[in-house]
Amino acid sequence: MKQFTEEDTIQKPLPIPDSDSQAMWEGLKKGELLLQHCEDCGHVQYYQQGLCRICQSKKLVHRAASGRGIIHSYSVVHRSPGPAFRDDVPYAVLLVELEEGPRMISSLLGKDFTHLEIDSPVAMKTMKISEQVFLPCFELINSADK
Amino acid sequence: MDNESTLRGKVAIVGIGQSPSGRVPGRSPLDLTADASLKALADAGMDKSQLDGVLTGNAYASSFHRFSVALSEYLNIQPSYSNTLQVSGATAGAAVNTAAAAIYSGLADTVLVACGDSLLTGMTPDLAIKAMTESRDQQYEMPFGIPVANTFAMTAHRHMKEFGTTSEQMAQVAVTFRQHASRTPGAQKTDLISIDDVLSSKMVSSPYRKLDCSLISDGAAALILTSAEKAYDYNQEPIFILGGGEYYSHEHIFLMPNLTETGAVQSAQKAYQMAGVSPLDIDVAGIYDCFTGTVLMMLEDLGFCKKGEAGPFVEAGEITYGGRIPTNTHGGMLSYAHPGIPAAWFHFTEVVRQLRGNCGERQVKDAAVGLVHTLGAGFSTHATTVLGKGSTL
Repeated sequence: MKQFTEEDTIQKPLPIPDSDSQAMWEGLKKGELLLQHCEDCGHVQYYQQGLCRICQSKKLVHRAASGRGIIHSYSVVHRSPGPAFRDDVPYAVLLVELEEGPRMISSLLGKDFTHLEIDSPVAMKTMKISEQVFLPCFELINSADK
Repeated sequence: MDNESTLRGKVAIVGIGQSPSGRVPGRSPLDLTADASLKALADAGMDKSQLDGVLTGNAYASSFHRFSVALSEYLNIQPSYSNTLQVSGATAGAAVNTAAAAIYSGLADTVLVACGDSLLTGMTPDLAIKAMTESRDQQYEMPFGIPVANTFAMTAHRHMKEFGTTSEQMAQVAVTFRQHASRTPGAQKTDLISIDDVLSSKMVSSPYRKLDCSLISDGAAALILTSAEKAYDYNQEPIFILGGGEYYSHEHIFLMPNLTETGAVQSAQKAYQMAGVSPLDIDVAGIYDCFTGTVLMMLEDLGFCKKGEAGPFVEAGEITYGGRIPTNTHGGMLSYAHPGIPAAWFHFTEVVRQLRGNCGERQVKDAAVGLVHTLGAGFSTHATTVLGKGSTL
């Protein structure tokens, strides 16, 4: 069993891309959120896997999402889930419904929660965590800008 | 489903046991679980040589990978049937259903179903990280700092938006279960609280405040199941498994089909059908109460009230004595104990005590049919069990 050190407890869990997800994490480095489109049934999916979740076809192609969506739900975290996120609280975790259909978990950029509501429109921005990892995050946009 | 071909009435719970719970320092998860197991054997008046099956969940504060096998060795039992189940909070119900199926099929004769953990006093930093990172996806969820609480919180926000459910209505769940715990020996929290106390407690993950959230505890509980043929050979009135159902709708919260209607609908429907009962027949319930709003959604999905109406249902006193469905009469995870995966085992021990008629001043009058619904991982996993007295067969 891996022994963890005190040091590990303050490090954030970072994504470890696998063969299914490599392309998506590469896309984010270029500022693109890639979604998988099924060439057989038209299903659009997040997250990346080897098969279409609807028809099990392997004919999947990556296309960049528009980056626009609405907040399907959210929760503002005030008590950190462990030392790694202690300096970040309060922060908002979002369940975003992308314009293309799929939902995803993400974070709200910034700490202004006054206009954070279900159905608020949001737009994606990538946040650099390391040379290898860029996370897709979202910011609130004015409905008028849509 | 033809009831004649199911396990309805073929298996009974004949022994229950609990270790001390709440803050129990200096005792390992195996020690606590062995304690509960020996108490369940004593309750049944059974020698451990009668056990040929052992099912458990896993313990975060223990490094054993095969907890059920480690527990067997700890008790010097060599079972011919064993497994360590992991479907998060639904493990309790899944373990009871699975044990019943094993007995009905002949894979086992008499099964110990036990679980214990020391989440409050036994977690080292390395075990805490393991617990945190294990429960949500490392690629698509955890990098955003989403604790499991957050997944349940997001379903609560949707419920508030879609049905007008209020924080006060959710708080009522905590208030009611605290009243129940105040009458339960061994409960971790017994001081009565008000709706204002809940609403003024610290925000944890909106809309949930501290008193909307379950406790963190140490503790273990154990059940012994055997066949209907042998059920009357022991000390206690046997409580029969009338039906079981489970449902696993998604893994990631972002693939949950509908945030306000869960797999409890399908899980319960299957259990009711096997049992040959409807929600109206249930006298007492144990409902997994990791958060207050979780209970509201389950009251709807288990069929005790209509979709969207759980808020007013709870406000009207329907989940306590004299109401439609007295729920978590021991105080639940919100007030009795929440040692992690073992937490829902206490829902089983309480519903069994209610059906035996052993609850003293907590007794739900004439309780004959009970339901336990356990769930986990942001409503990903669901297991329902319908239990009944011998008179209901």
